[in-house]
Amino acid sequence: MAIKFSTTFLLRKLHQVTGIVPLGMFYFVHIYTNVTAMNGPKVFNDHVQDIHDIPFLLFIEVFGIFLPLAYHSIYGVLISGEAKVNVLSYPYARNWFYLFQRITGGFLFFFLLFHLLNFRFGLIPGLNMTPVAGHAQEAFSIVSTEFQKGWIVVVYILGVLATAWHLGYGFFLFVVDWGFVISEKAQKLTIKAALVLALLLGLVGVNAVFAFVRPCGLLPQSLCESSHVKRTPTAPARF
Amino acid sequence: MSTNEHIHKQKLTDPPKTVKFKIQRREKEGADSHWETFEVAYRRNMNVISALMEIRKNPVTTDGKETTPPVWDMSCLEQVCGICTMVINGRVRQSCSALIDDLLVATGGNTVTLQPMTKFPNVRDLKVDRTRMFEHLKQVNAWIDLDGSYDLGPGPHISSEVAHERYVYSRCMTCGCCLEACPQYSENQYIGPQAIAQARLFNMHPVGKTEMDERLNGLMEENGIANCGNAQNCLQVCPMSIPLPRAIYETNRDITVNSLFGWLKR
Ligand code: HEM
Repeated sequence: MAIKFSTTFLLRKLHQVTGIVPLGMFYFVHIYTNVTAMNGPKVFNDHVQDIHDIPFLLFIEVFGIFLPLAYHSIYGVLISGEAKVNVLSYPYARNWFYLFQRITGGFLFFFLLFHLLNFRFGLIPGLNMTPVAGHAQEAFSIVSTEFQKGWIVVVYILGVLATAWHLGYGFFLFVVDWGFVISEKAQKLTIKAALVLALLLGLVGVNAVFAFVRPCGLLPQSLCESSHVKRTPTAPARF
Repeated sequence: MSTNEHIHKQKLTDPPKTVKFKIQRREKEGADSHWETFEVAYRRNMNVISALMEIRKNPVTTDGKETTPPVWDMSCLEQVCGICTMVINGRVRQSCSALIDDLLVATGGNTVTLQPMTKFPNVRDLKVDRTRMFEHLKQVNAWIDLDGSYDLGPGPHISSEVAHERYVYSRCMTCGCCLEACPQYSENQYIGPQAIAQARLFNMHPVGKTEMDERLNGLMEENGIANCGNAQNCLQVCPMSIPLPRAIYETNRDITVNSLFGWLKR
């Protein structure tokens, strides 16, 4: 018998894939770049520069990031609209996680819009007006200047935590939606792994936010200082 | 696996003299609903059905208003037919196996709230029309076509593991608990766990397997399996302890291998 896919089916599958493959993968690269800020402005700016030097960058940005993000976020908001939330009557952990996936998604919708306009494009009047794109060597100072405002730091910490949850638990959702993980035992293990991933992404991400406020972020500076000095002995003063 | 984990058989040490039943009533489909409260003398080993029968004998509310007897469905009275399913103290379950002592121990009060399931057309009072679950079974071909004009001989052997697993799915009584508790389920939006588990039951059968494409096609329609949001309330509320998420994920795998990537082997 011929196989028939409905539109909704294909749109859902595409939504599930875009969450992991372009977006999840991109996020790992992104957080890695941000973590390099622990080792100071030069190291961070050089990593940003490296990204700017990737061949076909615009193509990758449009087809690997912007379009999948636009699709996943808009369709994600539509999916969230279908939810008939009932955590008060059925207060089970996975029902709460279902709700968190939608709350973090909704928050990310606004946060990512803000974040892109704020740093990628530099288009929010009253805030940073220099796009990081094309100004790699100013990347650190753009961010650290912005992070002198307390509320901006709070917004970014919330953004990092929401992403950590959404991507971490999204990893579990993906493996069950595609039939990789099946039994209850395997599900339990995967959820544990997903929550550990969320925790790690959250901790590393929050520390990266603070790395733009204070060298090495919240960690003892000695952890970063030595490695940084070894790699670039002539590093200029940091701030 | 026990089918009555939600029944605790707790005993009230100091039971109240009377128990109040707050019932959501509706005269007919489409009419507005309203609440009526009734008071029934407490008896040992009372369940929701026996209380409703008591109310039916003398349908007078606590305000002294004479009213019509509440309408509900019941049949087997031993939690195997599924027809007496309703929302009791906010949670969906069968009213025949909902013991009053259990309910009062859980809430600490002396009131029990009864509502019809919200995801089905409400025919009257606590009675709903669950026809659409049968429509869902048709959508996924939840049967095995075996019609011959001659003796087909004995069926194929089934390993005891598969037989065990199929037995668990075969216990579904189409009660509707999983659909009621599912935050993704509503009419035309999502077919829900019940039909997916029945498709799985027949896909696991060696003869039924030959019609797997038909079942998977049914599950890939607009309201199909991809609308599952993995909240897994179905697992928690199923009175037959059917591992519904497992049936969904097995089917997700069949769809990935058979339907999405099947062209790689054709
Ligand atoms: C920007 C707004 C976003 C919204 C509104 C959103 C919304 C959602 C929703 C509602 C789901 C659950 C889908 C379901 O249960 O069927 C989901 C799943 C997922 N999201 Fe997002 N999301 C957003 C951004 C992101 C980002 C930036 C990432 C990656 C870092 C991401 C990764 C994932 C993953 C991996 C899943 C699991 C896929 C699956 O269900 O199989 N999302 N998203």
